[in-house]
Amino acid sequence: MKKKLGFLALLLVITMLVVSACGSKDEGKSKDSKNASGDEQIELEFWTMQLQPTFTDYINGIIKDFEGENPNIKIKWLDVPAADLSKKILSAVTTNTAPDVVNLNPTFASQLAELDALVNMDEAVSDEDKALYVKGAWEANNINGTTFAIPWYLSTSVTLNNKAIFEEAGLDPEKPATTYEEAAEYAKIIKEKTGKYGYFPSMDLSLVLQHMVMMGADLTNEDGTKAAFNSPEGLYAFEYFTKLYQDGLIPREALTGDQRSTIDMYQAGQVAFFDGSQFIVQVKENAPDLYANTIPSQAITGKSGKKTMSVQNVVVPKQTKHQEAAVKFALFLTNGKNQLEFSKLTPILPSNVEALADPYFTEAGDDAEPTDLVRIVSASQLDSAELLVPPMKNYDELRQAMYDAISASMLGEMTPQEALDQAEQEWNDILAK
Amino acid sequence: MGCETLRTNKLTPYLFLLPGCIILGAFIFYPMLQAIWMSFTDYNMVTDPSFVKLDNYKDLFQDDLFWKTLKNTLIYLIGVVPALVVLPIFLAVLVNQKLKGIGFFRSAYYIPVVTSLVVAGIAWDWVYKENGLLNYVLDLLNIISEPIPWLTQTQTALFAVMLVTVWKGLGYYMIIYLAGLQSIPESLYEAADIDGANWWQKMTRVTIPMLMPFVLIVTIMSSIAAMKVFEEIYIMTGGGPLHSSETLVFYIYTQAFDRLNMGYASAAGVILFLLTLVFSLINLKVMGKDNSE
Repeated sequence: MKKKLGFLALLLVITMLVVSACGSKDEGKSKDSKNASGDEQIELEFWTMQLQPTFTDYINGIIKDFEGENPNIKIKWLDVPAADLSKKILSAVTTNTAPDVVNLNPTFASQLAELDALVNMDEAVSDEDKALYVKGAWEANNINGTTFAIPWYLSTSVTLNNKAIFEEAGLDPEKPATTYEEAAEYAKIIKEKTGKYGYFPSMDLSLVLQHMVMMGADLTNEDGTKAAFNSPEGLYAFEYFTKLYQDGLIPREALTGDQRSTIDMYQAGQVAFFDGSQFIVQVKENAPDLYANTIPSQAITGKSGKKTMSVQNVVVPKQTKHQEAAVKFALFLTNGKNQLEFSKLTPILPSNVEALADPYFTEAGDDAEPTDLVRIVSASQLDSAELLVPPMKNYDELRQAMYDAISASMLGEMTPQEALDQAEQEWNDILAK
Repeated sequence: MGCETLRTNKLTPYLFLLPGCIILGAFIFYPMLQAIWMSFTDYNMVTDPSFVKLDNYKDLFQDDLFWKTLKNTLIYLIGVVPALVVLPIFLAVLVNQKLKGIGFFRSAYYIPVVTSLVVAGIAWDWVYKENGLLNYVLDLLNIISEPIPWLTQTQTALFAVMLVTVWKGLGYYMIIYLAGLQSIPESLYEAADIDGANWWQKMTRVTIPMLMPFVLIVTIMSSIAAMKVFEEIYIMTGGGPLHSSETLVFYIYTQAFDRLNMGYASAAGVILFLLTLVFSLINLKVMGKDNSE
């Protein structure tokens, strides 16, 4: 018995040794070495969302320039697949090993900001530097009165139209749908004449909420304490999608599929038009014939006339030991020169006022391809585009409640009005938390 | 210190157990205990957890969605387990024949097991699409006049996903049964032949009783797998439409990683653990009794 106990003690000691060995190793790594001149040598960890391999050279170029200007700072770049990023950053924050600079979308960034995990950029960035950014993009990253991110690149949604299907249905491809009413009308004609789907509105992620705002509904009252969408406009949105769905004018995947299914069907030539400017490069690579037949046009919108702006951000987690250097790098990454260079590689818009003034965003050459047109249409909409769904507390629950309600209506389990009432009730409960 | 321990032979076995104990302790038991503790806290992964006693469990029992996913999980269990216990027996008997090229069939049935579920899920997604393979075949055979939206209507989504689980599991359990079949002594069949037993009698009087220990293993393993089903659902339906194919593990996942309700998700996890435990015990009790008779 004594021996057994002794053995157990031994086991415990060994376990502790193993565990503590792991711990001390980590600690050693995070300490910064001093270089010969006595300056502190800093290493910043920088995470991006799915930019490799297409933009590897571009990002490496920026890192090289930055390190050239700041010899005491080294950047360690890590590219993370978009689908994993939120989980990865979360586990990094939990284990106190958060990177120093991260590229995040506003929705997830706001979730972290709610937990007070991100540096407040209103304080960390000078007014002078702030003025360099498009105002709407800067303000998009605001929750509870603090700005949690520096805007990086933007896009506004642009409709892609398949010219061949328009012609097959006897419609003029030069007059694409610009309102929800036209979209429904075209969808009907195209379905009747060609058997294909005309319109494919996705309901993924925040898109249900975006559709409702574009159709003129307010999501909440001004101070964000009560739901405000149980209105004629909100009802219109529910009825609109329910009718399209039940009449078989939009694919059933609109409800269950993610955005990937929209691009799959468009590339397969089964859908005439959809909001998918972010996929234009993919169409070019996967379906070159269809790409040549693609006409980008102004985004479809409703009563409000608003259009969707998407923002990609750069955030600095509060856990960083080098806040100043991290913010410095974030500002460098998003400066006018670097952003302009970036938008020449892919149809995105810079969030930097100076870069945006470049004629590259207003003038299409004679040999303009669909990607160029996407960029120009996208830039032309910036005035009417905004982040339609502002960062909200408990956003994921709110989004899910609305999605469930509109699903119930589209699947015929409730009338649109019943579904809307249910969503309102749930939103009020969640907002009151 | 080491030499002394080695000299006493009694301690030697424990030394061999040590690596296993450390790994199990660090990656199974420690996280398990932590999850149980976390289920009594309000924890969002960033700020420190705060102790809330039984609140998570109270909320859970009042959450309609929790009950719905629990119901879906039970439907899954009832649908998948009998299929996975019975069908592979026949497959195993089939591939246990001494035929030329039987190795090919054995591997063919086993291929779904080694296929990545992500790939299989996407492929099945195509099969189930409205203009997909299944609707095409059914239409060809004049069984249906309108394509059935298998994965996009509430009535069929869960069952469509269940079929994929069964398809994927068949080969795995077949191999277990195959090992069982090959351990049945030939003499039993010879004795049955002498007694004039036909194929069916040999199956029910010799093969199945001799396979009972394996049936027990397969029942427990497939029930646990069915309770934990996640990937198929994540890939094929995302729990939809309208949560009709959402199971308990998927619910736990969304609570934990989309909503950051770690404490709440842990409480649901503890419930799942208890359910699995109860089911395994019932299985052991019932089947074990059959076995000893």
